[in-house]
Amino acid sequence: MPFFDVIKWILWKDMLSEIRSRESISSLFFFALNVILIFSFSFSVGQDVMLALMPGLIWVAFGFTSILGLGKSFLSEVHNDCIAYLQIAPVPKGAIYLGKLAGNILLMMVVEIILYPLFMIFFNMDILAKIPSLLIISFLATVGLSALGTLFSILTVQLRAREVMFPLLLLPLSVPVFIGAVEATQGALSGDPYSSYRHWIELLFIFDMIITIVSFWMFEYILDY
Amino acid sequence: MISASLRGKLWKWSGVIGLLSGLFIFIGLFLGLVVAPPDYYQGEVFRIMYVHVPFAKASLLSYITLFLGSCFYLWKKDFIVDNLCHAAAGIGVFFTSVALITGSIWAKPTWNTWWTWDPRLVSFAILLLILIGYLMLRTFVDDKRKEATYAAVLAIIGFVDLPIVYFSVEWWRTLHQPMSISTRGVSIAPGMLTPLIFMMIGTSLLVSYMLLIRTQMLYLRHLLEAKQGGLLSEESS
Repeated sequence: MPFFDVIKWILWKDMLSEIRSRESISSLFFFALNVILIFSFSFSVGQDVMLALMPGLIWVAFGFTSILGLGKSFLSEVHNDCIAYLQIAPVPKGAIYLGKLAGNILLMMVVEIILYPLFMIFFNMDILAKIPSLLIISFLATVGLSALGTLFSILTVQLRAREVMFPLLLLPLSVPVFIGAVEATQGALSGDPYSSYRHWIELLFIFDMIITIVSFWMFEYILDY
Repeated sequence: MISASLRGKLWKWSGVIGLLSGLFIFIGLFLGLVVAPPDYYQGEVFRIMYVHVPFAKASLLSYITLFLGSCFYLWKKDFIVDNLCHAAAGIGVFFTSVALITGSIWAKPTWNTWWTWDPRLVSFAILLLILIGYLMLRTFVDDKRKEATYAAVLAIIGFVDLPIVYFSVEWWRTLHQPMSISTRGVSIAPGMLTPLIFMMIGTSLLVSYMLLIRTQMLYLRHLLEAKQGGLLSEESS
C-alpha cells in the first residue's frame, strides 16, 4: 500500500472508532474540566495574578489531559492482538506511526479547542482577538507532545505498569514543549507583538521536527523487534 | 557479534583497569585535597570540584556509551551490546546522582542556594530522570528482545532530546533570571588543574572498569536465563 494511503487509513480507522464510541473525547474533556475546577480553587488570588498564572495553568491542564489521552492511543490495538496484525502488515511501519500521530493530534486539538472557551468563561479572560496565535501555539505544542506520546504509548502499552511508566517517560522529555508553549502563550495572551515571542514558536517547531523524524525512524524498530 | 576472544581479553584486563583507576583517583585526591593550595575566593570549599567535575564528565561518558551502544544494538541486535547499555544506564544513574548531590553541596556556600534553574543543572536532572525511566522500563518489559529494543529506542530519543532541553532552559533562564552566576570561562591555576586531570582519567577508567564488570555480570545472567529456559542458542558460542 502506498505510504500516504497507510497514514490515511490508520487515521480513518481511529477516527471512525472514536466517532462511534466517543470514548476518548468525552473522558478527556471531563478530565480537563475537573482540572480547571481544581485550579480555580487551588489559587484564591486576585484577577490580575490569575491572568499572570494563566499560561501555566492552561498548559498544565493540557499536559495532564494529553497524558491521559496519548497514553492509551495504542490500547485499542492491544485488544484482539491488533498490534500483531500491524506488525505483519506489508506496509511501511513509519506510516503507521504517522497515521496514529495524526489521529492523536486531531483528538488533542479538538479537546483544546473546546477547552479554550471554558478557560475564557471560568477565568474571565479576553482571548477572542488572540485566537489565531493561540491556535498556532496549541497546534505546534500538541504536535510535539503527541510525537513523543505516540512513541511512548507503544513502548508502554503492553506493560503491567502502563499508567505509571507513560508519564514518567513523557514528562521529562517534553520539558522544551512546556517551556516553549507557556512562554509563547504568555506572549500571545499579554498582547505582545509576534516578534517578541517568535523564537518560542521556532523552538516548538524545531522540537516537533526533530522528535517526529527520530520517532518515525525508531518506530520501524519497535514494530520489528 | 563481539568475538569471544576479544571478550575474554577485555575481561582479563578489567582488573588492571580497575587498579589503574584506583591509583589515579588516589593520586588525584591526594593532590587535590592535600597538596593544592586553597582557592583565593572560595577557600577550602572549591576542593569538592575534584569530585564534582570528574563525576559529571563520567556520567556523560556513560550516557554516550549508552547512546552508541543503543544505536549499535538496533543495527546488529547483539545481546552483549544490550547488556553493555543496561550496565551503562545503571552506572550513569550513580555518577549523575553523585554529580547532582556534590553540585548542590558546592552551590550552597558559593552561590548561596542549593539549586538554581541553570541549563546544566536542569539537563543533568532530566538526564537522571531519563536514566531512571530507562531502568524502570527495562524491569517492566517481560520479553528480552522487546526489552532490549524498547530500551534502545528510549535511550536514543532521550539523547536527541537532551540538547533541546539544554537550549530551551538556557533561553528561558535568560528571560526570567538575570545571569548573576556566570559559570563559564573560569580559568584555573595549573596547581589546581593537575589533580583535576588525574581525577578525570581516574573516573573515566573507573567507568570503564565498572562497565566491564557489570556487562560481564549481566551477560552471564543472560546466558544463565537462556540455559534455564532451554533456549541456549548461538549466544553460548
